[in-house]
Amino acid sequence: MTDEYYTESGIPVKLLYAPEDIAGYDYEKEIGFPGKPPFVRGVYPNMYRGRLFTVRQLAGFGAPEDCNERIKFLLRHGATGVNIVFDLPTVRGYDSDSPEAEGNVGACGVAIDSLEDMERLFQDVPIDQVSASVVTHLPSTTVVLMAMYMVMAENRGISFDKLSGTNQNDFIMETTVGSGPEILPPQASFRLQCDAIEFATKNLPRWNPVSYNGYNLREAGTNAVQEVAVAIANAIATAEELIRRGLPVDSFARRMSFFWDLCNDFFEEIAKCRASRKVFHEVMKERFHAQDERSCHMRFHVQTAGITLTAVEPFNNVARSAIQGLAAIFGGAQSLHIDSYDEAYSAPTEQAALISLRTQQILQVETNVVNTVDPLAGSYFVEYLTMEMARRIRDYVAEIEKRGGLVACVESGWLHREISNYAYQQQKAIESGERKIVGVNYLKADHAHSGEIEVFRYPDTEERQKAKLRALRERRDGKRLAEAMISLRTGCKTNENIMPHVMEAVRANATLGEIEKVFREEFGLWQFPLA
Amino acid sequence: MSRKIKVLMAKLGLDIHWRGAVAVSRMLRDAGMEVVYLGNQFPEEIINAAIQEDADVVGLSTLGGNHAVLGPKVVRLLREKGMGDVLVLMGGVIPRDDMPALKKAGIAEVFGPETQIQEIVDFIHANLKKASAAS
Repeated sequence: MTDEYYTESGIPVKLLYAPEDIAGYDYEKEIGFPGKPPFVRGVYPNMYRGRLFTVRQLAGFGAPEDCNERIKFLLRHGATGVNIVFDLPTVRGYDSDSPEAEGNVGACGVAIDSLEDMERLFQDVPIDQVSASVVTHLPSTTVVLMAMYMVMAENRGISFDKLSGTNQNDFIMETTVGSGPEILPPQASFRLQCDAIEFATKNLPRWNPVSYNGYNLREAGTNAVQEVAVAIANAIATAEELIRRGLPVDSFARRMSFFWDLCNDFFEEIAKCRASRKVFHEVMKERFHAQDERSCHMRFHVQTAGITLTAVEPFNNVARSAIQGLAAIFGGAQSLHIDSYDEAYSAPTEQAALISLRTQQILQVETNVVNTVDPLAGSYFVEYLTMEMARRIRDYVAEIEKRGGLVACVESGWLHREISNYAYQQQKAIESGERKIVGVNYLKADHAHSGEIEVFRYPDTEERQKAKLRALRERRDGKRLAEAMISLRTGCKTNENIMPHVMEAVRANATLGEIEKVFREEFGLWQFPLA
Repeated sequence: MSRKIKVLMAKLGLDIHWRGAVAVSRMLRDAGMEVVYLGNQFPEEIINAAIQEDADVVGLSTLGGNHAVLGPKVVRLLREKGMGDVLVLMGGVIPRDDMPALKKAGIAEVFGPETQIQEIVDFIHANLKKASAAS
C-alpha cells in the first residue's frame, strides 16, 4: 500500500499542514478580506448574511405547460429562482416535428419550438420579479431562446431593465462538451456567444448573458483545474473580442458568470472556488485593466456532480449531494442546484426534487454554516491548496494560450483529446479499484441493485408539440415571416449583431428549428473531432 | 480464418454525452476488438455503416431519453436488411423499467452507468452471433 495521497486533480497531499506551508503568502495581498481584492474569500463583504445563495433547482421535461407546473411547484416550496433545462432537439436546434427530434421530444428537458411555447412555459411566473436561469447551453440556441424571452417580456409590457436572469451561452458546450450530428464551426459559435453578450451589455442591465460552463466540461471528463482554466480562457477570449468590437471592459465583465461542478474531493472543490475568484481577478485587473471592481468579481452557480451519482443504491446519492452542496457554501457560491438521488435513471420525480430543495434549505437554516463568511480561511491546508490550485489554473490557461487560444484549441481537437484521455484514465481507475465508489466497486452490498425507486416518466410530448406547430404554421403571417427570415440570413453574412434579426424572426413566429436551419446553412457545419 | 471482432459504436441521435461511448470504445480496443466510433448518428446511418463495415456488434450509447424509440428502430432496420445476426448492445442512463421492452425488441443487453467494461467484453464473447468473428 502506497502512502502517497493526491487530490482528485493530482496535487500531492501531506499528512499535516502547518504555518510554514503558507508562510510566503501575505494575507492582505494574496487572500484579502471578503469583498476586497483578490476576492479569495468571496465577492461580497457580508456574503450570505447580505444575501443567501439562490435556491435554483433545475426543471425541464415534457411540453411547456407540463414544465410550467413543476416551476410553480418549486417556487411554492421556497425556491428563489427558476432554472430551466431544454430537451435535446431544442438545445441542438430542431423543431419537435423534425425527423431528427424523434424519440427525444420532452425528454431530459422541456420542448420549446416557438415564442408561444416560451409564453406557456412562463405562464403565471412573474418574470419581472423572479430571476430565471435559462440553461441554453449552446450559443446558437441562446440567441433564439433569449430572443423569445425578451419578446415575451415585450408582449407582457415588461421593460428589459426589469429582466434578471442568466443564459448559459458557451461555445465549448456547442463544439466540445456535447457532440451532435450537425455542429456549427467553433468560430461561428463563438461569434454568436459574443453577439448575445454584446446585445445584453447594451440592452439588459440585470441579465447575465453568459455562464461559462465548467460544469459540463468537468462531467465530460476533466479535473477541477481544467474545468476552471477553460472557463477563464473563454472569458479571456470573449473579453478580447468585445474590446475589439469597441466595448470597454467595465461595460461587460461584471455580467460574466460561471458555473462549477462540485465533485467529491471536498477540500479541493472549496479551494477551486476560492482560487477561481483569485485568478479571474488577476486576469480582469492586470490583463484587461478593469477599473470597476465588479468587473473583477467572479460570481458562480454550482450544481452538485451528476457524474458522482450511482444507479446502485440510489439513496446514497442524497448524502453525496448534500456534502457537495456544503462545499459550495464553503466555496462562496452565488446560487446552487442540488442533484436528486434518482438522476442516474432519469430526470427527478417531484418527490426527489423536493428532497434536493429541502437539502438546500437544511443547509441554509439548520446548520449555521452561512452565518460567518468563508469559515475555512486560515486553515493551513485550505489556504495552501487554494494557492496551489490558482497556480495550476494559471499554468493551464497559459498552455491554452500557447496553443493559440481557446477557439484554436477546439478547432484542432486538442481540447477534445484532453477530455477523452481524462475520461479514459478515470474509467481505468474505477475498473482497477484504485478509485473507489461505495456500493459500486467498493463494499458492494449483497443485494447491490438499484433499490426499488420510482423513476420519473416523461409525459408524452411529441404529438402535442407537433399539433401546436401545425396550427402555428397555418396561422402566422407568411409575408412578415419571409421578410424576417431574409433579414436573418443577411445578418449571418455580415458582422453585425445577430440578436435584433433573431428577435424579429421570433416576433414573426419563426420556429426555433427554422432559425437554426438558417444558421446551419449560412455558417456551414463542422466535423466533430472524435467522430 | 478468424479476424478481430468488429464493433460499431454510435451516439444515438441527438444525445450529446460522449464520455461513456468514447471511454468504452477505447477499452474494447484494449480488449483486442476493432472499434469504429461513428459519433452521433441516426438509425438509418448506423445501419448503412454496419453494412459497410460488416460489423459484428453495434453499440448504442444514449443518456438522452431516446432509447425507447430509437433503440428498437435500429434492431428493426438491421433485420430488414438481413443483418439480424448483428449483436446490438445499449449503454447509458436508461430506467430499469424500460429494459424488458428493449430486450423484447431485440437489444441483447443494456449496460448502466456503473458497468465494468470487462462485463461488456465477456458478454460480447459469450453472445456473438456471427460465426466469422474470432472469440
